[in-house]
Amino acid sequence: MSDLALGYLSFPVLLLLIFLRAPIGLAMLICGIVGLWLATGSTNIFMARLKSEVYSTFSNYSLSIIPMFLLMGQFATYSGMSRALFRAAEAWLGHRKGGVAMAAVGACAGFGAICGSSLATAATMSKVALPELRKYGYSGGFATATLAAGGTLGILIPPSVILVIYAILTEQNIAKLFAAAFIPGLIAALGYMITIAIYVRLYPDQAGVKERLPYAERAKALGAVWPVILVFALVVGGIYNGWFTPTEGAAIGAAGTGLIALFGGSLNWGVFKDSLFETATATGMIFFIVLGAAFYNGFLALTQVPQELSAWVTEQGFSPWFIMALILLLYLVLGCLMDSLSMILLTVPIFWPVISALDFGMTTEEVAIWFGILVLIVVEVGLITPPVGMNLFIINSMDRETPMTATYRAVMFFVGADVVRVFLLLTVPAITLVFV
Amino acid sequence: MLHRWVTFAARVMAGLGGLVLLALILMICVSVAGRGLADLAFSGALGGLGDWLSTAGVGPILGDFELVEAGVAFAIFAFLPLTQLSGAHARVDVFTTGMGPRTNRWLAGFWSVVMAAIILLITWRLYAGLQDKLRYGETTFLIQFPLWGAYAASFAAAVVASITAVYCAVMHLAGRPVDE
Repeated sequence: MSDLALGYLSFPVLLLLIFLRAPIGLAMLICGIVGLWLATGSTNIFMARLKSEVYSTFSNYSLSIIPMFLLMGQFATYSGMSRALFRAAEAWLGHRKGGVAMAAVGACAGFGAICGSSLATAATMSKVALPELRKYGYSGGFATATLAAGGTLGILIPPSVILVIYAILTEQNIAKLFAAAFIPGLIAALGYMITIAIYVRLYPDQAGVKERLPYAERAKALGAVWPVILVFALVVGGIYNGWFTPTEGAAIGAAGTGLIALFGGSLNWGVFKDSLFETATATGMIFFIVLGAAFYNGFLALTQVPQELSAWVTEQGFSPWFIMALILLLYLVLGCLMDSLSMILLTVPIFWPVISALDFGMTTEEVAIWFGILVLIVVEVGLITPPVGMNLFIINSMDRETPMTATYRAVMFFVGADVVRVFLLLTVPAITLVFV
Repeated sequence: MLHRWVTFAARVMAGLGGLVLLALILMICVSVAGRGLADLAFSGALGGLGDWLSTAGVGPILGDFELVEAGVAFAIFAFLPLTQLSGAHARVDVFTTGMGPRTNRWLAGFWSVVMAAIILLITWRLYAGLQDKLRYGETTFLIQFPLWGAYAASFAAAVVASITAVYCAVMHLAGRPVDE
């Protein structure tokens, strides 16, 4: 069998292993090792690679940003800032129609500025916002759907762990990707708020009203969130302006949120230990997938599959926009099955060469950044798409009285908002590239 | 009894890895602050204080980059046992939920055996890498830190990961899975 055929054959095999519930990192590692073995006809290559490449993957300076951002997110969870953010957003938006739900979305966006994970944002904000939403007469389905959707802002608004991985896979500048994610993140928050406004007008019985607060109290509530603004400005601003490397920015962010949690939050010895353990399991999980992907992609590169596939797609003469739409659609479907990170590690090394060979009338760097943001959004839609979206399960499990189907019904409006946003960003790349 | 010991070892390793991570974070903060101060002092914005800072040797920590690389490698190897024991590895469940509990138990057992084999392979190869580094006495570029030291720390953590993985596999085979 030729190397190329071997490379193509490895896709269905890998997918079969993954669908048979193999840990995703393990499945990729096995396919990579066995593939290298079959392609080179000896055990020498993969044995030599295992000797140095496992260590060099784990000791990669750029990747060391990941455990630091994860620890930062853990500290953020205990910083008390989720409550302060929600109070501030509620003070300004709460009296509008659907205002408490809008406040939950706004607070999720704010929390996303110090937390790079979608599930953590959704879960942390729910603890604060869910009781409040129920208190003001918001239906369970609407409330849980709002928080599940709001959680996806955690990963879109920088810092974002997935963007770091994407930047390394495509050899792009992390600072520029963070800058590019900013405006789409704000549009996402705005889009969800508009969705809420429409929803409460269609179903007025699903939401209650809250009294208007005087401006003095609003200002006070807004003043309480200054630590979040400070940390976000320091970390993202510092990385963007080149004051320090992204890894250094992540370290400063972790130290900063640690201090906030220590002085203003609920950080004690038990919580501190839990934060370390949570960071440990999440980091171990991510790096095992990164390791598997490194070996699998090493094997694919040897078989020339990415180059051949890219050349084949270009030869067919399809419109670049058609290919782009097709790939995004594929991500949308896969996103309902697989977690975002595994999906990015699995597919970007194959799809990026295809996309980068197409002519969108932009520089390669611009296309890389634009494609990255689009992929990030589309895989996040998978988190709130019924029937398997992870965010839906997490939030729904926090509200016993609400049946899953009620969450499913309401969340479709937010999925709709996502689709509109993807279409907007796809047709107007300039929105994403404003700060690049 | 055995379960208590393995859990304890996995948590100790995760704690050690976490402490190393925290130490790296603090070191980076100090290094960035030192670099910032040194730049300010050099630009003359601080006047006499700047001169004093310069002579006192304020600046970035030498080799911070290399220490991050060595430290984070150990931390990640040290995180693997707890990841394994708490069943935190990412999987896709959608297609197997309909297959019934027996098939799922069988699949979980099968993969935990494969996982143990792969972790053992990684640990063994890491040992081979360690011997290479010892033989050639390779050091890092700036602070001449011997690389075998970093490999040895990671190897120690990988040994705990191997023990944990084998334990999980054996418990699966014995019909009493611990990693779910």
